[in-house]
Amino acid sequence: MSGKDVATKMKTRVILGEDRILHGSSFDAPTSFASVGVENGLNVEKFTEEVKVEVNDVSEDGNDLVFELSGVDAPLANTLRRILLSEVPTMAIEIAEFRDNTSVIQDEVFAHRLGLVPIKADPAFFETHVSGNEHTPENTLIFDLNVKCFRDINNEVVNSKVFASALVWTPFGEQAERFAENPPQVVHPDILLAKLAPGQRIDVRCYVTKGVGKVHAKWSPVATASYRLLPEPVIVAQPKSEEASRIAQTCPTKVFDIEDSGELVVARPRQCTMCRECIRPPPDAQHSAHGVYTPAVELRRVKTHFIFSVESTGILPPDRLVRDAIGVLKDRALFYAELFDQKDFEEHMAAASHSDGDDDASDDETKPMLE
Amino acid sequence: MTQGQVIGNKWDSYLTFLNAGYDERSALDSLGLKRYCCRRMLLSHVDLIEKLLNYSVAEKSSGE
Ligand code: SF4
Repeated sequence: MSGKDVATKMKTRVILGEDRILHGSSFDAPTSFASVGVENGLNVEKFTEEVKVEVNDVSEDGNDLVFELSGVDAPLANTLRRILLSEVPTMAIEIAEFRDNTSVIQDEVFAHRLGLVPIKADPAFFETHVSGNEHTPENTLIFDLNVKCFRDINNEVVNSKVFASALVWTPFGEQAERFAENPPQVVHPDILLAKLAPGQRIDVRCYVTKGVGKVHAKWSPVATASYRLLPEPVIVAQPKSEEASRIAQTCPTKVFDIEDSGELVVARPRQCTMCRECIRPPPDAQHSAHGVYTPAVELRRVKTHFIFSVESTGILPPDRLVRDAIGVLKDRALFYAELFDQKDFEEHMAAASHSDGDDDASDDETKPMLE
Repeated sequence: MTQGQVIGNKWDSYLTFLNAGYDERSALDSLGLKRYCCRRMLLSHVDLIEKLLNYSVAEKSSGE
């Protein structure tokens, strides 16, 4: 292998050994591989050429999405994941006004349960409601829940279970016309919220506002968003046929196949869980003179290829969530680009570092913003 | 009743499955709960509210 190949491998692959991981971190410095002539700097043209997104799988209900993102580094992929978890806005119940609650569930416990009910309403139609400000039709949706449990004439108990379907949307202002085609509703009408005994009653008005998951998990639009690196098991030395069938059998996810010729081939690399079973030395392993066992397989992961899985809670379709997340990232990047472009940026910085001191006036200025 | 994944709507169906003679494993599998943090929520849930409801006084006092 030439120096160039070694450098490229270091740059793009993580290698799992029996007892170690090689090249686990990324090489950030543009000059990391300069001595062997491998470019490591950021280059926008090259980036746009290399970056690729491919949709793999969408679940039946359309809420789970698996896609592959390649040609980007871990920091960018992780940014996307974290934005999906905590910064894509959605609508959730923020304030619950109890008019009556004679059930055995306390107000605050019931309010918490209400908050976690996913509400299907497009957050793009709403402004963020700032706590303390007035609720307007532009920033708030109202849902009412009024359930009373009683015995009917046949002595049957009615309404002993309160489901999320009991949350009814009450149009606020001109919302009835605005959302005539697409009325806001709960995603899962069958969520069990409370159980009542005859004579008990819950009457509550809920204010639904827009928010993000980093403030409270109820606004998180995903159940999970996660990724794994693309596994790449490679056969580096073709083993003898008994050894080949041993390796093929030992793999719990059946990654390998044996060809008719007795050759071991990697048939389903994506199923590999990196359990390292195939590189564990067998009891009768052939060690070299230095006591080193060289397995037939090398386990690698591609550092720039991410298999993403996004599970939506059903509020928004997962592809829309990914798009929104990229939008959030873009807005933020533009914000900083603009900031850095400002002529007086350095003055800003100087002023900012100045006010860190014991300047009372600036303290008073920042307080109202924090509240 | 969510912890990321929505599970609040699965308790009743879980009970139906168990009463129909399924074991816990296949019941949880058919509800689509893959991760053990989802599974333990149903597996270890004790429906205490049923016990508390026995102490309801509202029915008598409201005279209905
Ligand atoms: S690491 Fe585990 S799953 Fe992957 S190929 Fe080897 S034995 Fe199979």
